[in-house]
Amino acid sequence: MSGNGSGRLPAAIVDELARLAERYPTREALLLPALSMAQKHWGGWLPEEAIEAVAEHLELAPAKVYGVVTFYDLFHQRPVGRHRIRVCTNLPCQLRGADEILEALGDALGVGEDEVTPDGRCSYIHFECLGSCDTAPMMMVDEEYHENLTPESTRRLLEELD
Amino acid sequence: MPKVTIDGRTLEVESGTNLIDAANRAGVQIPHYCYHPRLSVVGQCRMCLVKIEGMPKLQTACTMQITKDGMEVTVDDPEVQEAQEGMMEFLLINHPLDCPICDQAGECGLQDYSFKHGQAFSRFRYSEKRTYPGRERIPLGSNVVLNMNRCIQCTRCIRFTEEISETGELGFFQRGARTEIGVFPGKELDNPLSTCVVDICPVGALTSTRFRFAERVWYLDKKPSICTGCDVGCNITVEHRRGAIKRLKPRFNEWVNDYWMCDYGRTTFERWEEGERLVTPRIRRSNGSSELVATTWAKAVRRVLDRLGNAADPEATAFVASADVSTEEAFLLARLAQAVGSSKRRVVVESGPERSIPTVHGVVSGSDEGPNRRGALLAGLEASTTDEMLAALGLGDPDGGGLELLFLLDPDLGGRESESAFLEAARRADTLVVATWLDGPLAEIADVVLPLATTAEKEGTFVNVGGRLQRFEPAFPPAGQARPGVDLLIDLLVGLEIGWRAGDVEAVFAQLAKENRLLAGLSLSDLPAAGVDLETERGEAE
Amino acid sequence: MAFEPILTRNIRHPEVLSVDGYRATGGYQALAKAYEMEPGEVIDQVKASGLRGRGGAGFPAGVKWGFIPKETGKPVYLVANADESEPGTFKDRLLMEKDPHQLIEGCAICCYAVGAHVTYIYIRGEYAEAARILEEAIADAYAAGILGEDSLGSGYRQEVYVHRGAGAYICGEETGMLESLEGKRGQPRVKPPFPALVGAFDCPTVINNVETLCNVPHIIQRGAEWYASIGTDERNTGPKLYCMSGHVERPGTYELPIGTTFSGLLETAGGMWRDGELKAFIPGGASAAILSAEHADIPMDFDNLAEAGSMLGSAAVIVMDQTTCLVKATARLAKFFAHESCGQCTPCREGTRWAEMTLYRIAEGQGTMADIDLLDRMMKNMSGTALCALADACVGPVASLVKNFRHELEACVEQNGSPYPERRYFSAEGAD
Repeated sequence: MSGNGSGRLPAAIVDELARLAERYPTREALLLPALSMAQKHWGGWLPEEAIEAVAEHLELAPAKVYGVVTFYDLFHQRPVGRHRIRVCTNLPCQLRGADEILEALGDALGVGEDEVTPDGRCSYIHFECLGSCDTAPMMMVDEEYHENLTPESTRRLLEELD
Repeated sequence: MPKVTIDGRTLEVESGTNLIDAANRAGVQIPHYCYHPRLSVVGQCRMCLVKIEGMPKLQTACTMQITKDGMEVTVDDPEVQEAQEGMMEFLLINHPLDCPICDQAGECGLQDYSFKHGQAFSRFRYSEKRTYPGRERIPLGSNVVLNMNRCIQCTRCIRFTEEISETGELGFFQRGARTEIGVFPGKELDNPLSTCVVDICPVGALTSTRFRFAERVWYLDKKPSICTGCDVGCNITVEHRRGAIKRLKPRFNEWVNDYWMCDYGRTTFERWEEGERLVTPRIRRSNGSSELVATTWAKAVRRVLDRLGNAADPEATAFVASADVSTEEAFLLARLAQAVGSSKRRVVVESGPERSIPTVHGVVSGSDEGPNRRGALLAGLEASTTDEMLAALGLGDPDGGGLELLFLLDPDLGGRESESAFLEAARRADTLVVATWLDGPLAEIADVVLPLATTAEKEGTFVNVGGRLQRFEPAFPPAGQARPGVDLLIDLLVGLEIGWRAGDVEAVFAQLAKENRLLAGLSLSDLPAAGVDLETERGEAE
Repeated sequence: MAFEPILTRNIRHPEVLSVDGYRATGGYQALAKAYEMEPGEVIDQVKASGLRGRGGAGFPAGVKWGFIPKETGKPVYLVANADESEPGTFKDRLLMEKDPHQLIEGCAICCYAVGAHVTYIYIRGEYAEAARILEEAIADAYAAGILGEDSLGSGYRQEVYVHRGAGAYICGEETGMLESLEGKRGQPRVKPPFPALVGAFDCPTVINNVETLCNVPHIIQRGAEWYASIGTDERNTGPKLYCMSGHVERPGTYELPIGTTFSGLLETAGGMWRDGELKAFIPGGASAAILSAEHADIPMDFDNLAEAGSMLGSAAVIVMDQTTCLVKATARLAKFFAHESCGQCTPCREGTRWAEMTLYRIAEGQGTMADIDLLDRMMKNMSGTALCALADACVGPVASLVKNFRHELEACVEQNGSPYPERRYFSAEGAD
C-alpha cells in the first residue's frame, strides 16, 4: 500500500502536472498525462504503487484509475522490455506482409508476444492500425515509426537497438 | 403535466419522468438491466429498446425523459421483441447457465427475461464461452462475493459505489468482451452499505457472503417489517423459511431508506437466531427460592399481579422498556404504570454509531441502538440511558435501595443487559419481572420470566428518527409459548380489574390514536405503505 | 485537368513548420480576415461552402458550429479530433506533421466563430512525432502573437493545447473522446445531450476532425463559392484526402476533388500492385462496406457511396487483389472491432467478439452454412441497437461480406477452409 513515501509521485511529475493543471477546468483531466509520465518513470509499465500514487495525487479512487489504465492499449500492467515494439497487423499492413514481419520479429527475439527477452532489451506485440498504411508493413519502436519493412530490415533494425 | 401514450394507454406524468417508470405506471413492463431509478442513466444493456413515434431507430427507454406532450411509445411490437430477443441472445452467449448452483436462481433478471424475451435454445453452437478463470468466487469484501462469469456488465454496482455510497471501491476494468468489474488489487469493497450491490445486481454475479447457499429463494416467505438496528427505521422484508430468518432485504420507502439498508441492519436478525430463545414462562418456586421453574402463562401473570398488588408504595414500582418495543407496547406499559400508580415509566435508549442512508430526499441518520425512542415517548414513556435509569430508580448503588418491583420489557440494551453490573443493579429490586425473548443471564436472575415475541413475530408501529410512523407485520408466529408484549400487557391490565377490556394491536392503536392528537384519525390497518410523517404532515396541523 | 492541391500544397515544404515559413505561403491571413468578420459571418461562410466533416460521419461543419448556444455563461471548447485510428487512414497525421500551422489556423478561426477560447487537439497517443511537431508549432505561434491573450492584435484570446490519448480507437468517437479528455475511460456517452450543448467538462463543445479544420482557412481566404465549386455537387464539395493502401502500386495520401472515381484514384496511385487484378475495395476505412470490382467507377463522395450501400467514411481506401481471401480479411477487421469495443453496451461487447470468432472459424474450415445465416442475423441484431456507432462499424464490412461475397464464405465451408493459400509477400515472392 502507498502512503509510505515510496508510492508517491516524483517531484518532476508533480511539477509538470501543476503546469498542465492550468489547461483544464478539472483535476481529473490530468489523469492521462499523469499516467503517461508515471509509466515512463516506472520503467515502461504501471505497477500498482504507480497507480496508487497517481490516484492519490489526483484525489481519485484507485479503482477508477485502474479502470482507466486497463482501458488504454498504451498503458501496461506488466513489465516490458527496454524497447517496446508494436507491429501493425491490421488489414492494410497485412495486405503488404505484416504477418511475416511479426514472424521475423518473433524468430529474431526468440520470445513470444508480450514477453520480455532474457536480457530485458525488447518486448513486442502485434498492434492495431498505427496510421502508416502507405508505408506498410510498419512497426513502432518506442515512440518511433519504422516503415516499409522487410523481414531483413526488421532484423537489421533489431541489431541496431541498444 | 405532459401526456404520454404507451401501448395505447395514455397517462399524465410529472415532467422529466423516465419512460421506464412511466411505462411501469401504465402497467407496461419494459425489460431492463442497467437502469435503476436512483443511479445515473447509462443506456448500456440495451434491453429497453422501444419504438417511439417519429424516430427512425429503436430507442432505449431508459434514456428517454418525458418532458413534452404527445410521446407515443410502442413496446408490444415485433421489432421491439426481436431486439429484446437479440439482446438476450447476446447476454447469454457467455453466461455460464449454471442456474442449478447459482444463488440468484429464482430472482434472476436473466431467468425472468429469458422466459419472457428469449428463445428455448441457443443458436451459438460453439462451446467456448468467455470465462474469467480464477474469478468465479472472489470475495470483494467481507459481505459480497463476485462471480465474474455471470456478470452482464450492467455497472449498477459500480455506479452504486460512485454515486450512493460515494466510496468508489468498484471499477470497470479492461475493455471489450474482456470487460470486468472489481476492486483495485489489495483493496476491499468496504462501506456501510456494501451489500446493497447484491440487491441491485440483476444476475448472480454478486451474492451475499452471509446468504450464499443458505436457502433457495423460492422456499422463502417474505413479510414487510422495519429494521431494529437503529432509529432510521429502514423498511425491510423479513425472508424466512418456517420461522428461521434467512435474510433481511431493504423494502422501498423513498422517505426513509429509498432502496437501501446498511450492512449492520442486515445482521440484526442474527441475535434472534443465535441467542437462546426463551419459550416458556418461569417463576421462582417460592419467595427467595433459588429455583426458577417453568409455569403457565396464567400463573406467571397471576404472580406479577400479586406482586403489583402487594407493593406497599406504588412509586416503588418501575416499568422500563428498551427502544425495541413497539409504540403500542410502550403505550400499554405506560398505562400499566399509571394503573398501578407509578410515575416511573421509562424507555432506555443507548447511543450507538451513527448510521446513515442516503435517500432522494436527503440523508437519514440515526444513532439510537433501538428503533423506537420517538414512538415510546409519544406513548408516554420517559427517555433515559441505562445509567440514568438505574440512578433514577435508586438501583445504581447498593445503598440506594427501596424499589419493590422492577418490570423490564424487552430489555434489549445493546449487550448492557447481560453485564454483571446491570444484573446486580436490577437484582436490587425486591421483585424483578423480565419479559424477554432471550434466555440469558437476566432471565436467570428474574423472579418472573415472560417469553416475548421478537419484532419479526409481532405487529405494531415504530416512529423513526424523523418522526415517521411506520407499521410492521409479523413474519411468522412467536416461538414456543412466547407472546407479543401487547398481549401480555393486556392480560396484566385486564387482571388489574380497572375496566380494561381485552383487545388486539389494532384496538390498542385505535385507543392511542384517540388519545394522541398527532395520530388522530389514523388506523393501524390503513396506514399508508410509506408510513405517516408525524412531524411535518401532522405536527403542523396542530 | 490537373487539380491544384489545397490542403497538401505545403507538404513538400518543410519551411512551413515555422510560423514565418507558413506565413510566407499566405498563412494566417485567413485568421486575420476572419477577425475582420463577425463570428456569424464566418459560420455562414463555412455553411455556404458545403464543407462536411472529414472524420467519417460527414456532418456539415457550419451547421455543427451553428448549434453552439450563445451566452450560456459557460466557456465553449473546440476539440480537434486527431485520434485518427480508422484502419487505412493516415491523412491527418500527414497534415499535422507536414503543415501544423494550417491546423492551428483552422482551429483559431473555428474558435472565433463559435466563441471558444480554448482548443484541445486530442491526438492519438501513438502519434508521438506529430504531437511533438504540433507542440513546437504551437509554441512558435504563441511567440508570434498568433495564439495567446491577444491573437493577431484582435483582442481575441486563443489557447491551443495538445492532449495525447493512450491507445483506444473508440476515443475517435466524439463523446468517447470527451470522456478520455476528461481523464476517464473512453466510453461513449448517451446522446442526447449532444456535445454542442453538453460537451467537454459539461460545456458547449465543437468537435471537428483535423482535415475538416484544415479546410477552414482556405474557405475563409478564397471564399465559400470557390470552395463549393470543387466536387461532385452542392452536397459533396471541396478537396478530399484519399488514403490509398493495400494492393496499390503507390500507397499514399492523394488530394483530389471529392467525388473522384475509384478507378481514377487507383490510376493516380499507380494502379494495382505487382500487376494484380482488382477484386474488392473498402472505400471509407474499416467501418465501410466492402465493394466488389464492379463498383470501380463509383464517384467517391458521401452520397454516391451511401447509395451503393457503403460510405465515404474517412476516405481510407483499402484495395485488395485477386489473391485476397475476403473472409480472412473481414475476420481481421472484426478482430479489430472486438479489440476496440469499449465493452459497455451489450450488442457491441458481445457481437463484435462473436463476429470475430465466427469468421475465423469459417476461414479455418470449422464453419457451417447455418453459421453464415446466423452471421447475417447477428449483424442485424447489432445494427442500430448499440449505444454508439462502433457496433455498426463492425456490421459494415461483415454484413457486406455476407451480402456481396457470400460465395467466399460458402467456399470456406465447402472446402473446409479458405481456398486462398496464405500469401507470402517476402520469401515466396522474392521481394525482400
